[in-house]
Amino acid sequence: MQRRDFIKITAATGAVAALEGCGNPDHQLIRFIPEEELLPGIAAWKPSICTLCPAGCGTLVRVMQGEAEVVRNGQLGLLKMGLAKKIEGNPAHPISQGKLCPRGHAALQVTYHPDRIRTPLQRTGQRGAGQWKEITWDEAIKQLVGQLSPLLAAKQPGQLAVITSPLKGQRRTVVSNFAAAFKASPIEFEFFDNAAVKAANQQSFGVAALPTLDLAHSNYVISFGADFLGTWNAPVAQSIGYGEMRKGRPGQRGKFVQFESRVSQTGANADEWIACPPGAEGAVALSLAHVILSEKLRTAASAGAAGAVIEGWATGLPDFSPEKIEKQFGVHGELIRRLAREAAANSPAVALIGEPSTAQSNGFLSAVAVNALNALLGSVGKPGGISFAPSSAVKLVPVKAPAADWVKSSAGLKVVLLFGANPRFLTPAEWGIGDALVNTPFIASFSSFIDETSSLADLILPDHSPLESWLDDSPESGSTRTVVSVAPPVMAPLHNTRSMPDLLLDVAQRLGGEVAKALRWKTYDEALKASFGELYKKQGSKSAKDADEFWSKAQERGGWWSAEEKAVPAAAKGGGTLKYAEPKFDGSADFPFHFLPFPSQMFYDGSLAHLPWMQEAPDPLSSVMWGTWVEINNRTAEKLGVKMGDTVEVASQHGSLRAPALVTPAIAPDVIAMPIGQGHTNYTRYATGRGANPISILAPMKVEGTESLAWAATRVKVSRVGEGKIVMFGASMEELPSTTKHR
Amino acid sequence: MPGQTPHQWGMVIDLDRCTGCEACVVACHAENNISTVGEDQAARGRAKHWIRVERYFEGEFPDVKTKFMPVLCQQCDAAPCEPVCPTFASYHTTEGLNGQVYNRCIGTRYCANACPYTVRFFNWYNPQWDKPLHLQLNPDVSVREVGVMEKCTFCVQRIKAGEIQAEAEKRRLNDGEIQPACVQSCPTSAMVFGDLSDPDSRVSRLARGNRATKLLGELGTLPKVAYLQKDSWHDNESV
Repeated sequence: MQRRDFIKITAATGAVAALEGCGNPDHQLIRFIPEEELLPGIAAWKPSICTLCPAGCGTLVRVMQGEAEVVRNGQLGLLKMGLAKKIEGNPAHPISQGKLCPRGHAALQVTYHPDRIRTPLQRTGQRGAGQWKEITWDEAIKQLVGQLSPLLAAKQPGQLAVITSPLKGQRRTVVSNFAAAFKASPIEFEFFDNAAVKAANQQSFGVAALPTLDLAHSNYVISFGADFLGTWNAPVAQSIGYGEMRKGRPGQRGKFVQFESRVSQTGANADEWIACPPGAEGAVALSLAHVILSEKLRTAASAGAAGAVIEGWATGLPDFSPEKIEKQFGVHGELIRRLAREAAANSPAVALIGEPSTAQSNGFLSAVAVNALNALLGSVGKPGGISFAPSSAVKLVPVKAPAADWVKSSAGLKVVLLFGANPRFLTPAEWGIGDALVNTPFIASFSSFIDETSSLADLILPDHSPLESWLDDSPESGSTRTVVSVAPPVMAPLHNTRSMPDLLLDVAQRLGGEVAKALRWKTYDEALKASFGELYKKQGSKSAKDADEFWSKAQERGGWWSAEEKAVPAAAKGGGTLKYAEPKFDGSADFPFHFLPFPSQMFYDGSLAHLPWMQEAPDPLSSVMWGTWVEINNRTAEKLGVKMGDTVEVASQHGSLRAPALVTPAIAPDVIAMPIGQGHTNYTRYATGRGANPISILAPMKVEGTESLAWAATRVKVSRVGEGKIVMFGASMEELPSTTKHR
Repeated sequence: MPGQTPHQWGMVIDLDRCTGCEACVVACHAENNISTVGEDQAARGRAKHWIRVERYFEGEFPDVKTKFMPVLCQQCDAAPCEPVCPTFASYHTTEGLNGQVYNRCIGTRYCANACPYTVRFFNWYNPQWDKPLHLQLNPDVSVREVGVMEKCTFCVQRIKAGEIQAEAEKRRLNDGEIQPACVQSCPTSAMVFGDLSDPDSRVSRLARGNRATKLLGELGTLPKVAYLQKDSWHDNESV
């Protein structure tokens, strides 16, 4: 080709390109050089960890080449980069075993969310008014250091508060060490904190942890309100076990009995679903134990310390005869007798209790009662029963309710650091956490999103998304192996964000002195590598020849886990007995209904309401999309004159809310239920202003024996407001062609 | 491989294992680029879920029984959706799938009207992803535009990828090697996918079992999805 022709051709194609460029702004972007080599159309699967709930499922992320608009060095451009395309369970991981729950799949949308905070922000308007200015990282860090240095010099406890969502792995070390330099300890805020269950397990078995269930080998499962197939504990691991219990053993199908006052997604699968009034779970468990003891199916001594702690255990629990329970709670005595005999005859039999049954004033005692029943059935530390993860004893910290003790001591507070927790949405207004925050001189948030709590911040230092971060976790339950998960980032960061632990290490160095000494690592992955070095020293390895190989193999596989371990819980400390107590409720006879908020399958505690896949996924029981609802028994609704979809007002002594009614037979006539998760006032375009938040009307009651909110102990009244709207999937579809109405 | 009987893809769903968790529903969205439509369109019955979990209540409180049933395209052998399509966009593939050719579809929606399982979904608008949510899209699956009908494909992109891989390695496909996204995700392993033309495949064996039924089988649609009915528990009875 002649040089002249070549110029002509390029000129022509250049013109075409320029024309196209006018129509499509993508083509005007600068093209950055790709940072990694990926073959177009060829997927790589990289290990990662799901961070959306405490279960700690190991995942595999499908990464493929794509083009993303990114900012690099302050300039917007187009970059060919590895992009996460799908998340699946990691088959090698002991918790997820290759499976995931619906929430885990939607974790992808956290990274690509259009309302993610893309760069550091400084508040410009009134606190909480949502006016922000974009600033550089240098400025942001300077501001934070400026606020923190005087505190470091003063060394006064109570000037810094660190409020965080539950910290995993070495993040806990980094954040705790950082806070300790200021004489503060992080307050881990978790709505579903299972404090009652953990405290009861400490009492009965000497381990303050959630139990690991071996459902795959159970022949009989009695659950008291535990949503173990949906949201409670390690739902994926438990669902895998449940499938095996039902159909994994030819000729042997385990039975599942659920006691609760509203059919949950888990309860819907029970062979026998038994209505049980809120707060009566412990009494029913003790009644089952009464039958087993009185019919001499087991001896009282066989339950050991877990039984001995219950008052009246040695004499066969005379106060809990089935006849008495029937009179008091309406659960049939004959039924209790039959179930007790069945459970005793079908070993291994296991009893479970979880939220919302433990979110009653007597939730701790109910859990202690269920522990005693479990010990009596002989299922503790045995196949088909419950056990405790071997590592759980070492790394547990007591669970704190932040508002209760924190607000009281917040007077001298100078700085609050927020790590992803949203207590303003998840505590009753009367706890005053919003007011306390508003009055704090300086708040810095490390969240990726503006929510009800982080909207109060003065400075936002956005974290990477989990897929862009180094992750590690050692789950407390879900496997009988010791599990230490670790995963490098699966993709490069999309936005101008910084990894929270790395940022803290940087800030610590700039602050110097004690903080710098407490956080000696340069980067977070260095801290992780060091922790794996220690693990190698302690555990050794069959396949790795040195600590470096151990570390790189762990990254390839998604972590390190031990062989199956037999974990028998330590004996309880003993000392004294506990007397069962009746539940207490907030609200007099003017409030005739129990109010039962429940964890939402899609939104968990509301932290996932910002994901469009979760909003549009129909709720398994109600089919509701993009909204919330109030569950009312059909006979109650008839009495109240409420029809499906009508707007109703639910009022407690502490507030009221309005939401559409869902009329259903699957709830007790004196119970009103509502999913937790909607009702955000400020949480991205997809969740803001949608539905109502049941927590806003709760009484500030505590579970006795813990510091946790008894969030299912409020009573309410209900009235019809008028016609309303409820969006349900398939509501307009006819179920059978023969019933189709023709016009 | 050439000369072999074509695969006949089928599925078995064990209702005794299914817990109604909907992991399959979200996995399907992620795999197949199903767009969300938002509250207003959802209220008009335009939300798209290629697989859904139906829930049935029987009886009154406190004796209420609940059943879940995941419903997806049944990939019928006598599919009512196919003969009604004027443009042959709905057609029967050699491997027994009810195919949907998006670029032939002109949006008459006859197929959706004919389908007794209501598993076909119409795109009333062009799909939209608020940027950068578009980066989640699976490059293996085409995005459907306005005026086009869409439905479950049994993850045909995964089937094809598996077949091509096996052919490249000059071997037969292993039973269970190909898993649609819903089957892959199911925590209780309630869903089994495989080749019905192989009598020894797991799916064939389960589909012959005495708990197997077909959804609306009386309509003569010959579905390739079999449901294993829920068992009950009786003391000391082996099932």
